Amino acid sequence: MLEVLNVTKRFGGLVALKNVSLKIERGERVAIVGPNGSGKTTLFNVINGIYKPDEGRVLFEGVDITDLPAYRRAHLGIARAFQIPRPFPNITVRESVAVGALFGSYYGRIGVREALEIADEKLKLVNLYDKRFELTGRLTVPELKLLELARALASKPKLLLLDEIVAGMPPAMVDHLMLLVRRVADEEGIAIATLVEHVMRAVVRFADRVIVLHLGSKILEGSPEEVLRNPLMEEIYLGRRWSP
Amino acid sequence: MTLSRTHILALLTLYAILLGLRILVEVVGPLGPITGQLLTLLAFYIALGQAFNIFLGMTGYVDFGYVAFMALGMYGMASGVVRAYEAGLTGYYGIVFGLIQTITLTSLLALMVGGIALRLRGAYFAIATISVNEGLRYLVEGLDIWEGSRGLIVSGPLIRLFGSEGFSLLATIISDIMVFSVALLALVISIVFLNTRIGYALKAIREDEDAARVMGVNTTMYKVLAFTTSGILGGLLGAAWSFKVASIYPPDAFNILYTIEAIILVMLGGAGTLAGPIVSGTLYGSLKYFLAGILPGFQLLVFAPILVAVIVVAPEGIVGALRVYIPATRRFIA
Repeated sequence: MLEVLNVTKRFGGLVALKNVSLKIERGERVAIVGPNGSGKTTLFNVINGIYKPDEGRVLFEGVDITDLPAYRRAHLGIARAFQIPRPFPNITVRESVAVGALFGSYYGRIGVREALEIADEKLKLVNLYDKRFELTGRLTVPELKLLELARALASKPKLLLLDEIVAGMPPAMVDHLMLLVRRVADEEGIAIATLVEHVMRAVVRFADRVIVLHLGSKILEGSPEEVLRNPLMEEIYLGRRWSP
Repeated sequence: MTLSRTHILALLTLYAILLGLRILVEVVGPLGPITGQLLTLLAFYIALGQAFNIFLGMTGYVDFGYVAFMALGMYGMASGVVRAYEAGLTGYYGIVFGLIQTITLTSLLALMVGGIALRLRGAYFAIATISVNEGLRYLVEGLDIWEGSRGLIVSGPLIRLFGSEGFSLLATIISDIMVFSVALLALVISIVFLNTRIGYALKAIREDEDAARVMGVNTTMYKVLAFTTSGILGGLLGAAWSFKVASIYPPDAFNILYTIEAIILVMLGGAGTLAGPIVSGTLYGSLKYFLAGILPGFQLLVFAPILVAVIVVAPEGIVGALRVYIPATRRFIA
């Protein structure tokens, strides 16, 4: 469904992505793993249109979307939940989620009333329904993360780009959130790409496939068990083993 | 939010009451302190706030050149009337021609400025729009457009076109009704915006433009839409007001004071709220009117601390503060 073909992205002299290619199939869950600075976020920004790659193409459902602006990609069904929530502080929780519904893949097909209904439904799903008339700016950080998820789900995405939204959350909540995402994704056939920097335990439970980025290149790809067992992983995160 | 019917009806009723009062005062004379002049002032400020709210209130962009739209409206209407007079046509042609000129000029300005300046954010947008206003003023003076700095004389042609009685009606009650109509039009457009995805797009832009874009909002299009709508309404307000002035001079027409008043009105009432402008327009207009009687010349000195107090106590504005502190109001007040 999503194809990234030989994408390179430079910032001045820094090559953030080097000839990266990957594929994500419908309904698949892919974890993109790598230490800080490995190019994960840049890759997401190329997929959802914040950056245009210097070389290479991005295809979505067979259509070349490399030159489409970010908002058109949202209409096609690419949604994103940010790691650091990007709330709309001065409007209500319910309205925030309705924005997701109005401008996602339903764009042009539903009105405000339907969007609010969808918002209510997604807020029930993430357990924020009781706070729907609260101003978004008054939510706590964990609540904002749930809201971020509700907003992304409300857009009825085909592909959901999850930044490391579980970072900094208590373990019990991580499990709960990942199970929730998994259930919804299965029910609605949403493909998920999630960024992982540290919380490997979540990866193993969650992903069908793991892609490892290091210094802008894709260096490993495979099942979670395979990848985590690979000695290269230790080297990336901890450095080369010293041997006399 | 889908706006509640009661809320909309209440606002429309308030408008009807104000308009009814204005007509009543015209017929039976002033009712105590309520004079025609006061109601004219209230209508002007409510219309100004309501029209500017569509841009500043909903998108959060501060257009420091907003008065340029009003100036173009005044010039558009006045030069239309003058031209009709010179061509030997009747006054009604002049007004229609003036309206066409107003709408054309203001939408052209909005599209040109919006297309370029709306790429800038925050203070940079504000600075760019100030310079558009000042630039336009010097353009009118320097190129001697609309009689340049000599001033465009409106009252003469108006008197000859409509007779002196017709002119005095036009300059008072009729232009007031036009100002009320602009306010009402701006209110109706605000209701439509808030009740459709346009309002959601604009508020998302105000809150976090980059996030809005990633979520599927064509930010440029919606910003230009709000800017143009608000600009045309400002132009229509200027056009309605032009019947009240004897002649139009660039330094008066492009006076930045009106922009500042517009900003005050929006912030005082509550940016992006539907009821904000009617609350702030009434408050600001009455204060200005009565202070001019009690402390002539010192109005601004009294205003400043009041405004500072509002900004410190309720930065969300009066109606905005209701929404923050009384949660129940969030369901129905927008």
